[in-house]
Amino acid sequence: MFPTRWQRAASRKNGGLLRIVPAVVFLALLPQPAFAVQVHGGPEGLYVHMMAHVFFSAALVYLLCILRRRPPDGSRGWTFFRYSLYLFFLWNLDTFMVHWLSSRLPDEALAESGPIWGHHLNSPLTFERLMYYFGRFEHLLSVPAVFFLVLSLRAFCRQAEQGRSDPGAP
Amino acid sequence: MSSGLPLLPIYLVEFWGSCLMIALSLAAFRYARRLVRLEPKRVIWAYLFWLCMALVALAVSRGFAHIVRLFLLFFNQPEMWRRLAPYSGGLNSITFVAVAVLTFYYENMRAVTDRVRQDARTLARTNRELEEAQGKLRHLNLNLEQRVEERTRELALSEQKFRHLFEGTKDLIFFCDENTRLTDLNASGVALLGYDRKEEVVGRPLAAFFRDEEKWARFHCRLSAQGEVADFEADWQRRDGSPLYLILTASAIRDERGAFQGSEGIAKDLTHFRQVTEQLIHSEKMASVGQLAAGVAHEINTPLGVILGYSQLLAEDFAEGEVRETLAIIEKQTKVCKRIVSDLLKFSRNTVAGEKRAADLNGTVEEALTMVEHTLNLDHIYLQRAFSPEVPLVSFDAERLRQVLVNILTNAHHAVGTEGIIGVWTRFNGHCGEAEIVIGDTGPGIPSEVIGRIFDPFFTTKGVGKGTGLGLSVSFGIVREHGGRIEAFSPPRDPKVLAAGMQTAFHITLPVEPAGGEG
Repeated sequence: MFPTRWQRAASRKNGGLLRIVPAVVFLALLPQPAFAVQVHGGPEGLYVHMMAHVFFSAALVYLLCILRRRPPDGSRGWTFFRYSLYLFFLWNLDTFMVHWLSSRLPDEALAESGPIWGHHLNSPLTFERLMYYFGRFEHLLSVPAVFFLVLSLRAFCRQAEQGRSDPGAP
Repeated sequence: MSSGLPLLPIYLVEFWGSCLMIALSLAAFRYARRLVRLEPKRVIWAYLFWLCMALVALAVSRGFAHIVRLFLLFFNQPEMWRRLAPYSGGLNSITFVAVAVLTFYYENMRAVTDRVRQDARTLARTNRELEEAQGKLRHLNLNLEQRVEERTRELALSEQKFRHLFEGTKDLIFFCDENTRLTDLNASGVALLGYDRKEEVVGRPLAAFFRDEEKWARFHCRLSAQGEVADFEADWQRRDGSPLYLILTASAIRDERGAFQGSEGIAKDLTHFRQVTEQLIHSEKMASVGQLAAGVAHEINTPLGVILGYSQLLAEDFAEGEVRETLAIIEKQTKVCKRIVSDLLKFSRNTVAGEKRAADLNGTVEEALTMVEHTLNLDHIYLQRAFSPEVPLVSFDAERLRQVLVNILTNAHHAVGTEGIIGVWTRFNGHCGEAEIVIGDTGPGIPSEVIGRIFDPFFTTKGVGKGTGLGLSVSFGIVREHGGRIEAFSPPRDPKVLAAGMQTAFHITLPVEPAGGEG
């Protein structure tokens, strides 16, 4: 018996899928540069990360401007929140600087082989290297920033719990 | 030890800082979530919540990345860290961007929220204003109902007041339509016009009640032209034809275009007032005439006595012949003159006290009737008596009162001619303290233009030589001397007298002095 026209069409469809799936798997296992896609170099990730820092800093400045333009009430929550924003901004500057300096440091500037307590920043201790070294203590900025954020949120919670309906949001 | 700066402090700060970052960011996330749950409608809390979410991601990512890196460095596996570092950095970049996007977007979201909040406030204010307006409307509605009730009550009171005035007044109040037909009038008006029910009067033309057409025309013309008529004197007639003297005040009712729609008015009955006034005028006239007559009579009486005396003396000298006849004529006419003068003196003798004593009025009336009854019966005129036993003793001069009664009965005889009835009533009015004698006859009646003059001296309707015109004048003087009054009505005012078929009625009213007085 010969297949009908519909049966022939279904057969062609199933046969197509069966042929496409192995092709996709094959191509996934053997990646090759596609000429239609723009290929970037190695520093791209670092640049994106640094631009993200800049973007984050700009957002913080923007938020601080809003708070300055339309200052909320003088409650402790907003004071802590502003402290947190300043510290986050400084942390951004610091990390940006560290990323930038890190890219400028030669490979021999850091000795990170062997036991961890033997790692050190090699001489000569130039200004850049010193800035890099002290800039690595970024948590001295980020931890207080988050700490003030916690304090501000806790103050807001207490206000909300006390039934203060309008804390003077900007 | 090599020269340089050890990295171990950095590692220690990184390790403990990362741990603290993770812990603090989790705490911040917990507070943010609590805030959102406490006040879910606040946009700022939503923003902080998402900000904390991004920071938690950042802290966890960086914290764990640092810790893992330190571990890998500790175990001397820097190569493995170099493979993981891009993932950590990428994740950190995403969180930075997320925080930035949230921050930039927050302002727009806040603006939208402000707009929504402003709209909500406007809506709330509008709703509040609407509720206030609704409240005012409800209050107004409630107040309106109260005001309507008050006005209705006031109107009802006013209507009741004017209804009482309309129904209770003794004056005639009437309403007419545009054709001057009566549409409504009060009960006093119905009674005044001699009707029993209002329905008998309503619908009749107002002109029908005017005795004088010319007066009606003048009244209607003035009402139509001027819109009101004040103190208009008019003679109306009752249902039985009796006169009614009214003072009319009326005003026209017009629609908004000024078209005559009808009229309303009030009429005051002054019939009795006019009668009293006329009687007063008549009394004054009679008094004046009496004084004049007394003077004239006194002056004439002496010469007449001389003429009579001398004529009688001369008559003795001439026993017979033409002179004797002439003297007889002189004596006769002189006696006539003396009788007239005597009557005039009787009429005017108001200062001469008669012999009054308490007597039975019914008995005196009966005596007078007895004197004339025979003569009356000859002309088929019969007497009808209706004496009230309640009449008490009255102080009067019986002789003179009999003269009054005979005078009136004689006049009634002349009026009836032959075949008729003369009715005599006596009654006592205890309220006024008056006794009354009514003498009616079935004669033709006295014309209205004459009835006001019948008590005038020398006024008579009889032919020449048949009457002197002094009978009623003398009677008037006698009754007045007794402190009473004498009135004539044609047709009779008293329904009983009218019902007896009388056409004329004379009312003699005498005061009844209290017991223990004279007599």
